[in-house]
Amino acid sequence: MATAVSARSLVKRFGRREVLHGVDFEVEAGTVFGVIGPNGAGKTTTMRCLLDIIRPTAGEVRVLGTDPRAGGPELRRRIGYLPGELFLEGRVTGRKLLAHYQAISGPVPRGRINELADRLGLDLDRHTRKLSKGNKQKLGLVQAFMHEPELLVLDEPTGGLDPLVQQEFHAMVREAKHRGQTIFLSSHVLSEVQQTADTVAILRDGRIITVESVEGLREGAVRRVRLTTHGIAAHDAVALLSGIPGVGQVQVLEADGAVTLSAVLEGAIQPLIRMLGSLELTDLVLDEPDLEEAVLKMYAVPREDAR
Amino acid sequence: MNATLPLFRRAFFDTWRSTLGWAAGLAAAAFLYLPLYPSIGGSAQMQDMVNALPAEMTKALNYDQIATGPGYAQATLFGLLGFLLMTIASVAWGAAAVGGDEESGQLELTLAHGVRRVQVVLERALALFLRVVLLSGLVFVLVLVLNEPSQLGIEPANLFGAAVLFAGLALLSGTAALCVGAVTGRKTYGLAAGAAVAVLGYVFNAVGRQSPDVEWLLNLSPYHWAYGNSPVVNGADWAAAGWLWGLSAALVALAAVALEQRDVGA
Repeated sequence: MATAVSARSLVKRFGRREVLHGVDFEVEAGTVFGVIGPNGAGKTTTMRCLLDIIRPTAGEVRVLGTDPRAGGPELRRRIGYLPGELFLEGRVTGRKLLAHYQAISGPVPRGRINELADRLGLDLDRHTRKLSKGNKQKLGLVQAFMHEPELLVLDEPTGGLDPLVQQEFHAMVREAKHRGQTIFLSSHVLSEVQQTADTVAILRDGRIITVESVEGLREGAVRRVRLTTHGIAAHDAVALLSGIPGVGQVQVLEADGAVTLSAVLEGAIQPLIRMLGSLELTDLVLDEPDLEEAVLKMYAVPREDAR
Repeated sequence: MNATLPLFRRAFFDTWRSTLGWAAGLAAAAFLYLPLYPSIGGSAQMQDMVNALPAEMTKALNYDQIATGPGYAQATLFGLLGFLLMTIASVAWGAAAVGGDEESGQLELTLAHGVRRVQVVLERALALFLRVVLLSGLVFVLVLVLNEPSQLGIEPANLFGAAVLFAGLALLSGTAALCVGAVTGRKTYGLAAGAAVAVLGYVFNAVGRQSPDVEWLLNLSPYHWAYGNSPVVNGADWAAAGWLWGLSAALVALAAVALEQRDVGA
């Protein structure tokens, strides 16, 4: 499959402060790639490098097959960009502002702006500076999506949007993907990314800690298990459960008559299921994996171990 | 991507309120000052009063020729209030064009589209030039209209030359603001640079005229290049006009090169 975006040993220094210390990643064309990381991790800097708004100190960036520095306006017409902090001032209506951006992007299909505005519930006839944060964000999304670019670079796209509009946004991302567009988006929380992304990169302190499919993250994540069983002594049940690979923190919650245990499971669930077959269960709860917790754990890993 | 000069059109038309406001200010200045000439500037008492002022003060305010119609228009409108208004307008537009736009975070989004940075600077500079020319044209027309009724006796050709210098002088401050804004990405630095060019030019002119010892200051004063020979009275020094407009163009070119080189919004 073709590569839409790639970075190799991308380094960015502002004066003496190094913000990116050699970032590597590849985004396959037609996929949704999410970058998550705490504030200040370098997400915005990375995205700005893709748009030639800032220039890398070292390393190589390729966007749709070209160096953004050399690609010029022709390359940027094929990209839709939503900045992380969107400032729209001036006494112009949303419609006029979009007409301006339309004049400097790729061709916009007729009726596309109204269609997007309707979907997001945006009033195009209001002056931009009177718009709320969420409505400005909608305007930003419309200008990024309207020319159906080959690549969308969206920095914290759902910031300020209410849950219903977030759902609509996720639908827009899925449709774009079906159309073959590539989406590169960032967030500081995983839950926003996991709904739409195929692949997630975790960025911390200017380094990619891990690049993983959402499936992979799920497998690596921790689940809580709680079970109640009959006809077995509490300590036997504990021993049985503790013997399964990936199970830890086994606790006895109840031991008179029925035995209730809780534990956490990391990794594959198959061995656990096999063991459970030998028990007389009366209750079983296996939680949805907590990806957020998995990611937070990765954030917390000291830098030396991360590489 | 179909329409021509999209950035110019946005910079020019979206600021029409501001352009209109400055036009109203300049018109008010012309209508307040010029009709007063027959009763103030042209009267014998006025000349007596000017003669009674300290010579240094008369020179500093360019009031030496205030007793003639062209000298009065030169000193009051072109040299003082008009100069002040035009300079402020031009510097404000210049500082906002790139530095202000970057500081407010909007330049980033513009540059993420299908435009070149050089194009951004040039189109916005064009919008600045055109607005300044428009305001100067307005002053030219207003003075021409008031020439007869206010008994100013100004030669239209001299007036035209003065208007060209008037525009050039404002443009030099405005493009200095644009250039420093583009180099630093800060509106405040742009404003400071534009104001410095205008204020220092004015002060160097006022001080330089006081004595031959400090006459060299006049060479450093764009204000003196433009108005040293009182263009409304004597006609324009076209070489000076060339310098003012040429330097302005050079500052725009410098701004374009500087913006092309650096990171934006960093």
